[in-house]
Order: sequence, then C-alpha cells, then structure tokens
Amino acid sequence: MKITIQHLTKIFPSRTKGGKAVHAVEDMNIEIPSGKLVGLLGPSGCGKSTTLFMLSGLESPSSGKILFDDQDVTTLAAEKRGVGLVFQNYALYPHMTVEQNIRFPLDNMRIKKEEGNARALDAARLVQIEDLMARKPSELSGGQQQRVAIARALVKMPNVLLLDEPLSNLDARLRLQTREEIKRIQRTTGITTVFVTHDQEEAMSICDIMVVMKLGVMQQIGAPQDIYDDPNNLFVANFLGTPPINIFKGRIEGGRVYIGGEAVAETHYGDREVYVGIRPEGFIYNEDGALTLNVDHIEVMGRDKSVVSTHESSTKPTVRCIIDSDVALPQDAATLRFNIKPYKLFLFDAETEERLR
Amino acid sequence: MMEEKKDNGAATPQTPPKKHNRVAQYFIDLGSRIKGWFVDKYTAVKDFFYGFTKAGREEKKALAAEGPQLSRGERFRRGLKAQSGWIFVAPALILMAVFTFYPIFAAFFNSFKQGYSGMTGKFNGWGFDNFIRVLKGDTGTGGANFVQCLVNTLLLTFISVPLSTLLALLISVALNSIKKVQKAYQTILFLPYLTNALAMGAVFATFFKIIGTASNTETVGIVNIILGWFGISPIDWVGLQSPHWQIGSLSIPWAKYIVAIVYEVWSGLPFKILILFSAMQSINKQYYDAAQVDGASRWTILWKITAPMIMPQISYLLVTGIMGGMKQYSAIVGLFGETMGMDYDMGTMVGYLYNYIELGQTGYAFAGSLMLFVIIMIITWINNRVTKKRTTYR
Repeated sequence: MKITIQHLTKIFPSRTKGGKAVHAVEDMNIEIPSGKLVGLLGPSGCGKSTTLFMLSGLESPSSGKILFDDQDVTTLAAEKRGVGLVFQNYALYPHMTVEQNIRFPLDNMRIKKEEGNARALDAARLVQIEDLMARKPSELSGGQQQRVAIARALVKMPNVLLLDEPLSNLDARLRLQTREEIKRIQRTTGITTVFVTHDQEEAMSICDIMVVMKLGVMQQIGAPQDIYDDPNNLFVANFLGTPPINIFKGRIEGGRVYIGGEAVAETHYGDREVYVGIRPEGFIYNEDGALTLNVDHIEVMGRDKSVVSTHESSTKPTVRCIIDSDVALPQDAATLRFNIKPYKLFLFDAETEERLR
Repeated sequence: MMEEKKDNGAATPQTPPKKHNRVAQYFIDLGSRIKGWFVDKYTAVKDFFYGFTKAGREEKKALAAEGPQLSRGERFRRGLKAQSGWIFVAPALILMAVFTFYPIFAAFFNSFKQGYSGMTGKFNGWGFDNFIRVLKGDTGTGGANFVQCLVNTLLLTFISVPLSTLLALLISVALNSIKKVQKAYQTILFLPYLTNALAMGAVFATFFKIIGTASNTETVGIVNIILGWFGISPIDWVGLQSPHWQIGSLSIPWAKYIVAIVYEVWSGLPFKILILFSAMQSINKQYYDAAQVDGASRWTILWKITAPMIMPQISYLLVTGIMGGMKQYSAIVGLFGETMGMDYDMGTMVGYLYNYIELGQTGYAFAGSLMLFVIIMIITWINNRVTKKRTTYR
C-alpha cells in the first residue's frame, strides 16, 4: 500500500496556561511507495513517534492529510485503517498466553476459530515462536516478546506495519539479529513498513527509504546511501555516520575553500563563511597534502586505522580520519598532511547551515 | 524444619505406607504437620528448662570451662539481642492473647457446655446440645431463628457483594473515561463512605416507608411515590405488612431484601470504586492503544483487558466484601429496627449472636459463633481457590 503524507502538522497545546504550544510535526510531505521498509530517523523529541501514531490513527493530525493508496484516512479510526502497530514496550497483554495475544485482533474481527488458529500459527511461524504459544508474556525473553508483538501486528494481514522503536529494548547482540529479522519478515510479507528509530546505524542498515527529522521538520528523504553521500544540510551530515563527520569552520575566497590558511578544495561559490564537512574516510595521506592536522594518537583497528588529531578550525574537539591499514604513516609525527577526496567534502552555509552543492 | 518432621514421621512405621484418598491424605499430612509444630515447641521449651536442672547447670559449666568465658553483662546483652524480636511483638501479642485468642478458645469450649449460665459459670455437662437446639430453632426463648438468620445472611451477601462489585467496576470505567470534573465526581461518589451506617439506614427506611395504611398514598415514602407514577400501588417495604414468601418454616421477606440489598450495594460502592478506579489508573495506556488498533470494542476492552488487569483488586474486594457481608449487623438494625424486621425475619448471623447474648443464653451464642466461624472459613477458602486461578499478578 502506498502511503502519502501531505502537509501533516501536529500541534500539542501547552500544558500550562499561556505556555507555548509544542509543534511536534510541522508541514511534513512524504510519499512512501508500496512494499518498502521506511525508517523515521531523528533524535529524541523530533516528532517521529508522533508521525507514526498519526499514521496508526491513535493521534489525529492538527492539519494535513494522510492517504493510503488513494483513500484519505486522515479521519478514519485506528481500527478501520488496517494497520499493525508494534509498541516500544510491546504492550502484550500479561494475562493472556502468546496464542491468545496473537489471536486477539482476529477475535475482534469475528474470524472463525479454525481459521483464526491457522492464521495465528502462520504468524507465529513467520516470527519463529510457534513453540511458545502456550506461554505467558512474563515467561518470555525481551526478544521473544518482541516477536510476539510483531506476530500480533501481522496476524490481521495489515496494509501497513508500523513499529515504534522496535529495537530499543533489546540488548546489543539481539538488536543486530532482530533488525535482520525485521528486514526478512518485511521482505517475505511485502507489507509497507514504517519504523521509528533514533539509531542511525539501525536505520541505515535495513531501510529502503530513510526519513531524517529534526524538531518536527523533515530534513531529508531518500535511500540511506544517497542521504549519506549527499546530505541536505549540516544536521543531516552530522547525524549520519559512525564515526561522525568532521566539521571545520572555513571560508570561500576566490573560488577556493580555505580551512585555516590552507586551501583544501575548489568551488564555484562566491566569497562567504562556510562550514566544511569532511567524512572520516575522505582523507588521503600525502606528504604534500592540502590540510595539516596535529596528530594526537593513532588507533589501529586491524582493517583500518584512525588518526585522531586536532585542528584549530574544527568545531569538534578531535578530528578523526580513517585510512587503510596498508598506508604507511611516519612514526611519531607531530603533524600529518592529507588531501581531501572532493566527493567526501561538503560545504554548508555558515548562517543557514544549508548545503552548498 | 516441618518438612523434616514429616519425613521422620513417615519413616518410623516399618509397614509400607497405606494409600489414602486425597482428602484423607490431606488431613493426615495436616495432622502430622501440627504434631510436628507442637513437638518442635515442646523440645524448645524442654531445652530451656533443662538449663535450670542440676545436669543442665553442670553441662553449662563444662561448656564454659572449655571456651573463653564471656562476661555476665555481655552474655545478657547477647541473649537479649537474640530474643529482641519477642520484645517488639510482645505488646501486640499480649493484647491479642487477651482479646482474640482467649475469647476464641473460650467460645470454643463454652459452646459445648450444656445449660451454661453466663452469670454463675455453672453448667450441666458437656455435649452438642447447644448446636442441636440452635440448628433446630428449639431455643425456647422466642429469640431469633438460626437457619433464618443464616439464609438471610448468605442471600444478602451473595447478591449484594457481586452486584456492588460489578456496579463499582462499571462506574469506575465511566469515571476513568471522563476527563473534566473527574475529581468532583470522585469526591461525590466517595461521600457515602464517610457517613454513619445507622444514620444512612434510617434515611433509607424513610425512603421506603409507609406511614399509616398502605391505601393512604399521601404519606408514602419517595420510592412508593415513584412507583406510583408507573401505576404500581404502594408496597409496605419495611413495615409490618411487608410481603414475604413462606418456604416451610422459613420466611423470605423479599421486599425487605430489596431494601437491604439496595442499601448494601449503595453503601458498598464508594470504597469499591476507590479501589477499582485507582487500579485502573495504574494500567499502562499502551494496552488500550494496542487494543484500539486491534479493533477491540469497548465491551471487549472492559472484559478482556481492564477486568483481568485489575483482577487482584477485584478478588480482594470480593473476599473482603463477602467476609464483611457475613458479619453485617448495624445496617440491618438501622433499616429494620432492633428486632431486625418482624420477629427477626431479617436477622443476620451477628444479630443472632447478639440477640442471645442479650437474652442471657450465651451457650447458643457460643454455638452460633462457632458455626459462623466455620462457615466464613469455608467460604473464604473456596473464594481464594476460585479467584487465584483467574488472577495474573503483574
């Protein structure tokens, strides 16, 4: 099912009298093609969960429209939208067994017992919990509970599957496993899936389409690699990537980009103050390189090594460069010089923080 | 410790243990456990007094000669510390011994004393005479009838407690769903809890009363006035002409039952609403969101989610409500006067006990109280078995 979001806005009135109303989501426009896995990504409080709940029908938008295919569902009640929702804390009913939990949506749809049992078992098989059907949620591990919650959302064959921070309650190892699982389930069922996360690595690893949000405003939408390689603004560039991008204060003078006194790249933009963002993997060691960094120490990771250094124009305490482990670096050098890969260098306007392409 | 005793007890006879049915086995186990408990205490007491005997003193001396001797003060201090728990529970224990344990034992023994006189303490001998007379209603004093009182109590309790719990559940759900002036409603609903039972009973009686004859519609209470709007002629709800069904020697004064049940339900509501409402407010909102997305109706949400989630509170209310119902007295007196209706036809169990204490026939009161005790125990046990099965503690 194709999802279209038009000018979606959600304003929460202030709790105190005369206080400021909170704009949780502002003028959001997205088109999600059918059968894709979409990640809503952003820091806490950026409105991504609110967007999800508006899609589910649990929150109603202040203005704007939500369309499933061509049907306007903006005012449609949650139970009539045919969405499956997986909550952050799973919200499994503690007094029901796994089977009763999974069957619950079917019972509400008044589906016959035999068919309901068959469908519940199918859903359980899909998430590989068919052996746990007789247990209560309290007798399951976090990962198993998560699967039950997904099975409960899938059993009614929803048009859209929504997951609210599906991995945040799992430990690190289980998180890796479960995110592949979610990808697998989404591929098998082909259901348009939207999930919310604040973990960029998680989003980048499994999404077909990623939506980056900040303070209720959508910053960028696209394939994860495209957004990483071509960020719209300083926030997006900063938010994506581990280790994070290096940001320098710089300026453009006569078609050249300067960091400190050194020209690192060329540009067609006129003279102005800019932020220069360079991805950690964008540095090439060269004795006559364009940029000089004061080396603090070098971390050897095996596959590659990272040079941790400082620069007076850097907006962060350290500058991190990742280079291949087979590049020989001089021992105990106080400074190293690097050339910059032009496609790993982004320019942002110092005032608007928008990208200069 | 008790397990050990049980094992020892089972191991001593050389013949293979006889197979008993479940009930018999239960009482045999219970018996051996009780015996074990007494043996345990007996050994402790024996050890304590052994310290005062000659042999005990010598043993102590021998022990003291072996190891380093603690000072007298230190020994006293340590001894006191080890036994300090007893000092803390002593006040409560003494009060309970005087006002709870002694009366229970006294009632138990006195109920078997035939022709017991509360004044002189004299009696004719031991036996079940009191119990037989109480059950037969053959007390020869014109006091309340035991079976009538028992039936009244059971009927009133098992109708009014579930009914008021159910109503409280529905009202709590309604209260939980309103947003504005919730606090005000809460306060209003809680007011009856603060009102005196006798006063409320008197007011209720006035609502239902007929003054003068039943045909004189000018002086009926508000309930009869309302019934009059629907063309129903006034009913003497609480008076001498109150309608009743007769089953053998048993009288079912249904009109008075209705009054009593309405009263019991109404006065039981506030506390139940308070408990259930606060329990509901502690349920995570996500369960309701999930249920909404899954298309559950309000009815399904109430019975499949809300009720099971607050099952611990519901079962608590049922258990305490039934226990309280078995002991009801003051409300009935408030509604129907000191004679509890006409010739105690609305008498309750506690009313029965009080009646015979007043009449000076304490033997019947003792026998009645013992039976009340057993009945409450059985009901509570069944209640626990039933509710435990349906309760998931979060």
